[in-house]
Parts: sequence; structure tokens; C-alpha cells
Amino acid sequence: MASPIIDASGIVKDYGTARALHGVSLQIGTGEFVALVGPSGCGKTTLLKILAGFEEPTGGHLQIQGRDMRGVPAASRPTRMVFQKLALFPHKTVAENIGFPLKLQKVGKTEANGRIRAMLDLMHLKPDYLERYPAQLSGGEQQRVALARALVSQPGVLLLDEPMSALDAKLKKSLQAELKKLHRELGTSFVLVTHDLEEAMMLADRICVMRSGHVVQVGTPADIYYRPANMFVAGFIGETNFLPVTASAAGDGMAVVSPLVAVGKTTIASEHVSPSLSAKGTALLVRPETIRFVKGDAAPGEWVLDGHVEEYFIKGASTQYRVRVHGLDNAVILDLPGSIVLPAAVGEAVRIGFDPTQAFLLSE
Amino acid sequence: MRIERKSWNDPVFVATVAPLALVMVAFFLVPLLMTAVLTFQTTQYYRLVWTWDLKIWTEVFSKPHYWTIMMRTVAMALICVVLTVLIAFPAAYALATRLKTFKTQIQILIIFAFLTDAVLKTFGWILILDKNGVANWLLMHLGFPPEMLNLLFTPTGTMIGMVYNLVAYPMFTIYLSLVRIDRDLMLAAYDAGASRIRTFFEVTLPLSRPGLYSGAVLVFVLSLGAFLEPKVLGGGTSPLASELIRQSFETRVNWPLGAALTMVLITIGALMLAACAAFVLRRPSTGRRPA
Ligand SMILES: Nc1ncnc2c1ncn2[C@@H]1O[C@H](COP(=O)(O)OP(=O)(O)OP(=O)(O)O)[C@@H](O)[C@H]1O
Ligand SMILES: [Mg+2]
Repeated sequence: MASPIIDASGIVKDYGTARALHGVSLQIGTGEFVALVGPSGCGKTTLLKILAGFEEPTGGHLQIQGRDMRGVPAASRPTRMVFQKLALFPHKTVAENIGFPLKLQKVGKTEANGRIRAMLDLMHLKPDYLERYPAQLSGGEQQRVALARALVSQPGVLLLDEPMSALDAKLKKSLQAELKKLHRELGTSFVLVTHDLEEAMMLADRICVMRSGHVVQVGTPADIYYRPANMFVAGFIGETNFLPVTASAAGDGMAVVSPLVAVGKTTIASEHVSPSLSAKGTALLVRPETIRFVKGDAAPGEWVLDGHVEEYFIKGASTQYRVRVHGLDNAVILDLPGSIVLPAAVGEAVRIGFDPTQAFLLSE
Repeated sequence: MRIERKSWNDPVFVATVAPLALVMVAFFLVPLLMTAVLTFQTTQYYRLVWTWDLKIWTEVFSKPHYWTIMMRTVAMALICVVLTVLIAFPAAYALATRLKTFKTQIQILIIFAFLTDAVLKTFGWILILDKNGVANWLLMHLGFPPEMLNLLFTPTGTMIGMVYNLVAYPMFTIYLSLVRIDRDLMLAAYDAGASRIRTFFEVTLPLSRPGLYSGAVLVFVLSLGAFLEPKVLGGGTSPLASELIRQSFETRVNWPLGAALTMVLITIGALMLAACAAFVLRRPSTGRRPA
């Protein structure tokens, strides 16, 4: 990255005796869209508040636009925040809300009005909303007003703390699309906090996955999806399968073997192995769409497991099967295309198979 | 909160509202009506004479003495509102923001002060305000001339007692307003570039208006009827309306006059509250426009 707009290194944050962040390092490029994802309580909001200047870090360094941020109040930082609960001023009209940062910068009335109008257009809000109060707007409209208020003073970085968590699924989708478009048009750096990895994959250039105050992995959506650092990241993406294996170094890649499968050792190429592989709890990540029902003979090198169908769910474009395999704690999930012809009934004994060389080797 | 339109034909609604309505009628409207009726009677030899006569009202309107006292009462009430709010706001603000760790202890202390009998507390002030009282003693020992303050049995003494006895009301209402303000709103103001002081005037103060107004109304209404403080600390030198009304009823045994003065006081209070309400409702303070 040429010149990161945000350079955080080793950020530590203690609340009393509890440590919320354990040395978080993250660089964000100018104009980049970065998503912070992780389960509840992992420190996403805390990190965002440190970037915004609402909390002082206990340790570590933070630079924004090359300037050290120690002791710099929120008001003097080039960051603007969209709050989780929006925090629109209930006693101010939409125009007063959006214009508030301009009023503080003593921008002239005519120019301020022009910029408020421009924001309204950008956010597809009707001009007659200007005199309304936030309580008189729908959730989606309030969302846009909050975005407009944050963007009106042309910040270097826009910080978004789960701004869409309170919206229904359909509205969420349309706002996500708008957010992506907005980012492309404005060229402002966006930092989006979300606990929804799917949302992060759709929107972000890079994703930072966090877990209990640590950064687990930073990478492009493709990195996160195809090369997850560990089972935590892989499991966060969505329902998937982990097959416990024992692994040993074999030339360029790794040789793996599973006690459940008769075929024996199979070699996995190095690009299918997690760079942060450790010895503890190694497993193969087998995606539901790569598993098939085996009728007749198995393909050469294919790993085959015996089980019985526990349940299936018709999803329209595909059908999900859950197959109980003896010796595995969790049911194996299959995603088969189509839903007209069902290949197996509930309770039926089945054989399922997949190509282990196409699976991904990782650890806990 | 939304108030739904209800119909008087709805039996459930009528049943739920009826008890409150009955209590209001029996203990508020009926006595008020009786007081109004009383003003049209006269007295002879300390006895009530049932007539329909405007004699009392002519007397009330022709004697400037009554109106001086009424105006003084209103002025005292207004000053009391201003002083209590000026004292209560910083106290409530500190309680809601700075002193959170001692919140419970301070609240308990305030409640105790609140619950201690007002008569007791008011007499306590005599010890402080007296010529040879604690205040002058302290000032003398601080190097001021002896008997510098002469507050007992003056309107200032009355005011001190009224402010002291009433300040807890706006403190509570303002405190309740302040703690309900979402902290994110202040962060949003800082984030937009506002200083702490600016944030206070743009966000905190406007959003604490409901508590400010309700506290002010409470103090205003209660100080219009202030009785104890002018008597004990004012010493009867400049009586307020309540004393005048008491005299009419008890000393002069002129019930119609007392009733008429009561009606005058209630009317003045109601008119002033209505004027204030109209002023406040010009612009919504809660984010919803008045319908
Ligand atoms: N003001 C505070 N005082 C004490 N502990 C706090 C404070 N704010 C956050 N924490 C703790 O720090 C940890 C991280 O909190 P944070 O709000 O950053 O989580 P999050 O990732 O944003 O979670 P969510 O997805 O639920 O919003 C949590 O364990 C939380 O209890
Ligand atoms: Mg959060």
C-alpha cells in the first residue's frame, strides 16, 4: 500500500481490568473500503471509536493521514462516523441535521444550503424532507440522512458502525448497493463494521476478521473465502464442513489422511493449504457444493463416506442435504443444484464423495 | 407516545377512564365550583348571607392593595423559578454526568432532604438568617463587619426559604431528562466538529427542555401558594397571596372575599401557564411537531 490513510499498529485498549483489544494492527489505503467483521463483543466498535477519537487507546500507535493522533479530539480528525443507532438529533430538522457540521465550520448560508441539497440528491431524498424531523422519517430514510450528515463535510474517512443492522432484509440489500456505488463515486475511504461476513464480502475491498480483541485475518474477499486462515474464519463465512484429518509435510504440499476414509494418504498442493497452519486440530474444509452423492463406483482418488440422510431443505435453485456420517460430530452438508428431482429420501443410506485435492487444509 | 382517538361509545374506554374522571370531578372540579359560587355571596356580622351579588368582586377590583400583593406573589414565584432552575440544572448535570459513581448516595441524600418536614427546615433557616445567627457569625469570623446581613423577616429571607424548599423538584425532573439523552448524540456532535460547550448548547440543553419546563411549572405553581416561608422567614412584613387569603378566611371571617382572591390567584396562574405553554409549543422540543 503506497500511503495508508490510516495506520494503526499494536493498538491495545483496556476497560478497567478487561482488555478489549490485544494489539490490533491495520492499514487502510486512501479510497479503500475495509470491513471489520467478527462476532459480538470482539472489539469492532471499540476499534472504530479509537479511530474516531472517542476513546484513547491504552497502547499502540495511530496515524491518520500521516499525523499522530495521540490527544487529537474527534472534532479535529478527518474521520466522520455513522452510528449504530444513527444518533440523529431528534430536535433538529433534516436540514439542520445534515447542515450541522457545516454550521460548525461556519460555512456561509447559501453554500451550506447548496451542499445540503447536493447531499439530498446523492442520497435520493426528496427536498420536502428537509423541514421534517427524524422521527417523521422511515428507518431507511433516517439511514440516508445519517450518511448525508457524515459525508457533507467531505471527510477523508467514513466510519460506519453496523449502520444497516436494524433494517429489514430487502431495504438492507438496496442500501448496500447504494453504499457501494457511493464509495465508488466519492473516493472516500470507508471503514464498515458488520457482523455479517456476506455483507462484508459484497462491499469491501479488504476484510479484517476479528475475534476477541485480535485480528485473525486481513485479506481480500477472495482471500477470506478461498484461503481462510483457520476454521474460525471459514466457519464465519457460512455453513460449511470440516473433516478432521492428520497432516504431515510431503514435498511441496501436505499429505493428509482420515481414519474415516479407506483411500489412504492424499497429497494436497501448497496453494490449498492455509499459510498459518498449525499442528493442532487440522481439518479439511470441504464446501457443501463440492460434495456429491456417489451412486456406483467412486472416481479415482475420491474420498467416500457412508451415512444416512438426516434432513433436506429445498432452497429453490438448490437443495441442501444433511447427511449423518458415523464418526463425525456434525452432519455433513451438501448443496446440490436444482430441486425438482430429489436424489435421496430422509433416512436413506447414502454414500457421499468429494475430491480431497480441491479441498482446503487448515487448522483450528 | 401516541394518543389514540377514543370514542365515548367504547364501554371499555369509559370504564377505564371513569374512576379517574370521578376523582377529578369530586376532589377538584366540585370544590372549584363551590369556591366560584361562594364569591357571589356576602357576609353580615361574620355570617354568610346567601344572595347573588357582585359586591365582593367590586371590592376586589377597586382595592389596589390586593393587586399589589397578587403581583408581588407572581414576581416572587417567577424569581423563585429562575433561581431554582439556575441552581438545579448544574446540580442535575453533575449528578447525571460527573458524579455517576456516587449517584445512589447523592440521590438518597436528596430524597432525605426532600422528605424532611418543610416546617422543620424552614425554622432551621431562622438559626442561620437571624441577626445573631450562623450566617452573620461566619461572616464576622471571616473578617466582615458584624451583623452585615439582615435577611430574616425580609422578602429575601422568604425567597431563600422558597428556593431551598423547592429546588429538589426541578433537580429531579432535569436529572430524569438528562439521563435519558443518548450519549451517542453527544459523540455525534463532537464527531461533527463541535466543542464541549457547543455540544452542550446544541444538544444537551435543548434535549433537557422537557425536564426544565416541568420543573419550572412545578416550582411556579408551588411558589404561588407559598405560605410557610413568607410567614416564618418573611415575618409578615410583605405578605404574599396565601397569607392574604388566610386572613380573609380566618381573621376577617369574610369567606366570599377569600374565595374571590383564591379565584384571582388561580386565574393568574392558569393564564401565565397557558401563555408559557403557547410559547414553548411554538417549536417542538421532542422531535415531533405539535399536531
Ligand atoms: N465502555 C466500556 N466499558 C467496559 N467494557 C466495554 C466498554 N465498551 C466495550 N466494552 C467491552 O469491550 C469488548 C468489545 O466491545 P465492542 O463494543 O467493541 O464489541 P463489538 O465487536 O462492537 O460487538 P457488537 O457486535 O456486539 O457491537 C466487549 O467485551 C465489551 O464488553
Ligand atoms: Mg458494536
